Amino acid sequence: MTLQIQDLGRCVGQNWIVRHVNLQVDDGECVALVGPSGCGKSTTLRLIAGLDDVSEGEILFDQINVTHAKATQRAVGMVFQSYALLPHLSVFDNLELGLRVRGVRPSDRQQRIQDMLDLVQLQSRADVLPAQLSGGQRQRVALARALLRDPDVYLLDEPMSNLDAQLREELRPELRRLVLNRQKPVIHVTHDQHEAMAIADRIAVLHSGRIQQVATPAELYQHPETLFIAKFIGRPQINCLRPNNGVVCAIRPESLFFAKEGLPCKLMSREWLGSSQLLYLDSPQGPLRLSCSPSVDIPEVLHVSWSASDEHHFDASSGCRLP
Amino acid sequence: MNRRFLIAVLLLWSLGPLMWQIYTSLSSDQALTQPFALADHRWTLVHYRNVLTSNPPFWRYLLNSLIVGISSTFLCLLLALPAAYALNRISTRLAIFSRLALVGAALFPYVLLFLGLLELARTFNLGNQLLALSLPYAALSQPLAILLLNSAFHDLPPELEDAAKLEGLSLFQRFRWILIPLISPATASTAILVFLFSWNEYPIALTWISDSSKLTLPVAMARIAGSSIYSVPYGAYAAATVLGSIPLVLLVLIFQKPIVSGLTSGAVKG
Repeated sequence: MTLQIQDLGRCVGQNWIVRHVNLQVDDGECVALVGPSGCGKSTTLRLIAGLDDVSEGEILFDQINVTHAKATQRAVGMVFQSYALLPHLSVFDNLELGLRVRGVRPSDRQQRIQDMLDLVQLQSRADVLPAQLSGGQRQRVALARALLRDPDVYLLDEPMSNLDAQLREELRPELRRLVLNRQKPVIHVTHDQHEAMAIADRIAVLHSGRIQQVATPAELYQHPETLFIAKFIGRPQINCLRPNNGVVCAIRPESLFFAKEGLPCKLMSREWLGSSQLLYLDSPQGPLRLSCSPSVDIPEVLHVSWSASDEHHFDASSGCRLP
Repeated sequence: MNRRFLIAVLLLWSLGPLMWQIYTSLSSDQALTQPFALADHRWTLVHYRNVLTSNPPFWRYLLNSLIVGISSTFLCLLLALPAAYALNRISTRLAIFSRLALVGAALFPYVLLFLGLLELARTFNLGNQLLALSLPYAALSQPLAILLLNSAFHDLPPELEDAAKLEGLSLFQRFRWILIPLISPATASTAILVFLFSWNEYPIALTWISDSSKLTLPVAMARIAGSSIYSVPYGAYAAATVLGSIPLVLLVLIFQKPIVSGLTSGAVKG
């Protein structure tokens, strides 16, 4: 099963919400769609699911064109940010509804739901209403519903952004275990780049409706194609020096180090982060962030340097990477 | 001013007339005309007996009104539910225009239509047919019902229906399993409003129905009250009023919870 998106676009009125989106997701591959809010991540997902109309381009499930197929006829399993569980039905009934309308026999339904509840570890909660579940449990029910659909493609729309940070970290390996083992294409929309890097095989960065780069997390971090991606991926954020002859030079905070000679700086403030410390510096080239081990002593007279191989160069007007 | 006192005043204001009717219906004619004379038979059920044993008996009108009320409510909801849903799915400009037209229709004084309706009744032979009354009733309640139900549909999170589509539920199945159950509070309050309108409606019922066994409650009551201008049968009239209110009171008591939550839903985003 391969999901192929070719030159996909959606236009509402005069505005293109997304355009020229090209993406291929293979069996068992997870691609994270990241970008700032309003960049068209969710719209792209809704187009694949068939919930919004495609204005141009094509969507292929295994070479079969489904661009204009109805949502009810596409085998798509989607997990929504708001979970979208039916509030008037119990957990069991929520899971059963889809099976029932798809014509699964009652005895079969019982068995499959029971197995699925075991898998997501909610055996004892089959008869309660969604409102009585915690956020993480609701999330697992929504996931179970998508899994029971046994779809061709999994679409996860910010599935964890309503959960607190600790729960998110706990659920991440579980999500891997449940969804990524199914050997189906997975698209995971998130605004959390940590989540994207932790889960995805490849990351597609979306900015104002266009995909700017699709690459592995490491490649994206080390060779960002645009200044936007360089700034968007990686925390603490990359340092951008003052543009020189239309060229922006950017250096990651961890690539900076103290030296005898270099850029003279003044320490503005300091954040201790446990495994590292983050220093906010002021330099003639503008403010800088420097990340280093907490054991590093801060000299009295600060000079900051970096190796030339750690520099990223971008065109100041277009934001494109320069060789 | 004291809160309790205010509540007491409000209760007196709204329940006072009702209490007075009950009091009147239980008083003998003599007690009504000479309130300060001490009669032997101060309290009596004779008015109720008269009303219930008249020809045709009063419960006949209750039944007629109930039949008309239920059929018009059913017909009205049957048409208004899909219309209200569709109003959220059409283009914004068309929806705004439609809502304005509906508000206009809801505010239109329906009495002005009644000559036209009478013509229709004559052309299509709808006179003296109880169920035919539910046609104008359902139609006249339609604008308000659509607007109320539309706002209920509007308040539902759209993801619920999206998720159902991806589960493979057809439009009809989504209606059956998701939309109807979730807007049932709004449906209940809308149903009560439509039922009330049909229960109270007078001019159309008066002109469409002349057969005395097919009269609805308001017309039947007017006949009791206006039987003669020289002797107004206060007691019988009051007894009829009390009997006519009982079904409504029961209805509202049964559906109290959904009605209140339906009337206030959408006031605060949940």
